[in-house]
Amino acid sequence: MTAKFDQFRRLHVPGNPLILFNAWDAGSAIAAGKAGAKAIATGSASVAAANGFGDGEEVPMVFALANAERIVGAVELPVTVDFEGGYAADPDQVAANCALLAATGAIGCNFEDQMVGGEGLWPVLGQCERLKAARQAVGEAFFINARTDIFLKAKPDAHDSVAADAAIERAIAYAEAGASGYFIPGLADLALVERITKASPIPVNAMWLPNGPTNSQWAGAGIARISHGPFPQMALMKTFEQMAREALA
Amino acid sequence: MASAFERFAALHVPGDPVVFYNVWDAGSAKAVAAAGAKAIATGSHPVASANGFPDGQVVPIDFALANATRIIDAVELPVTVDFEGGYAIEPEQVADNAVLLAATGAVGCNFEDQVIGGTGIHPLLLQCKRIEAMRKGAGDSFFINARTDMFLKAKPEEHDSAMADAAIERAIAFSDHGGSGFFVPRLADLKLVEKVCRASPIPVNAIAFPGAPSKKDWANAGIARISHGPFPHAALMKTLEQMAREAMA
Repeated sequence: MTAKFDQFRRLHVPGNPLILFNAWDAGSAIAAGKAGAKAIATGSASVAAANGFGDGEEVPMVFALANAERIVGAVELPVTVDFEGGYAADPDQVAANCALLAATGAIGCNFEDQMVGGEGLWPVLGQCERLKAARQAVGEAFFINARTDIFLKAKPDAHDSVAADAAIERAIAYAEAGASGYFIPGLADLALVERITKASPIPVNAMWLPNGPTNSQWAGAGIARISHGPFPQMALMKTFEQMAREALA
Repeated sequence: MASAFERFAALHVPGDPVVFYNVWDAGSAKAVAAAGAKAIATGSHPVASANGFPDGQVVPIDFALANATRIIDAVELPVTVDFEGGYAIEPEQVADNAVLLAATGAVGCNFEDQVIGGTGIHPLLLQCKRIEAMRKGAGDSFFINARTDMFLKAKPEEHDSAMADAAIERAIAFSDHGGSGFFVPRLADLKLVEKVCRASPIPVNAIAFPGAPSKKDWANAGIARISHGPFPHAALMKTLEQMAREAMA
């Protein structure tokens, strides 16, 4: 088990990113594994969509944890779980929930700073308290991918150097609070990405976007991990709809 | 206005078969509905594969029922659930489980005569008692698609007219004991299919598999329902594997 944590951590190499093609159930994790994935990441939006829920912690936590456990049981690869905002606001409750997550056998998680069910982001200090609580619950080896939703909450044309500097402030604070990695979904401006990866004390994760940068462009900007979020499940269901249309004709 | 049960039963027209493209979760059900399906059918095998279980009632019944409920809530269409062998041998227990299944809001189910976890198929009289119990538990309007696995359990070259006669005996007996439809998976010899369709008092369901007869050929043989079993999910996971391979290249 310790080996799996180390193996996963070492996959994060700035400039030579780990690519995670997000899964949502055991079957999709097995498919990603067969394709040669080095690790499996779940996507909360995909899990929600596959099971008829809205995103944003509307999937009951009990279901999310059981689903994570099924995925962990289905593949040999390390599994990191998109745990949204930890299903709680209060640090003590975040800690309790993260302990349950670690018990599934996951080796890491995404943990975001948007106020799920509210508006905007947690203040830096508040999010750091939540990160410290999560770290205390999951132990030192667990890979906490601290996500900032600064760029998701703003339109792309509002992504500027001021936003990037605010993101850098969070990267540094989150690293000190115990984060293992830093995730900046929605940011695709490569100059800003590079500014962040140069300043972040922890490896930076970008999210693949339709018509966004290529793997080699992300690599060139210093990214250490590329994930695909909700897009694989969405694209696959479009394909499935087309297959069904042909079969029904 | 006709009830969902009546609308579902009316879709079964010998010679003009309704086509079901089998699903396993709410997301796949929505995709098939968007493709213009008239009803949704689950497949036990894809539900198992998608969640890391082998087929044959290894998926816990609580999970199977909760998954069915999520699918039913996600679409407006009538939903029929592949309920395998009713998660029991004894008729009393089958009836109890049928009550739970009907409570999900499903309009029908597949109910098979193979001895799950054992060998061969249930003796005709016992299976008739089990169908009676299913009917008692699920109510008068529920569409019980009584499945015989005699053709699945034999090699295709062993499918002969003696076996078709044995299937006809089951079709008549199953119908007498409350079966609404008769399902003959893996029978693809169109002469034998036609023989069964002509003699069956209830509409007959064939399974489409890679290399199976065309929809037109099934229709001409008198089939009233074509389902796809595990093949849509299996094909889709191959597609996902390819997508993942390309994303990680």
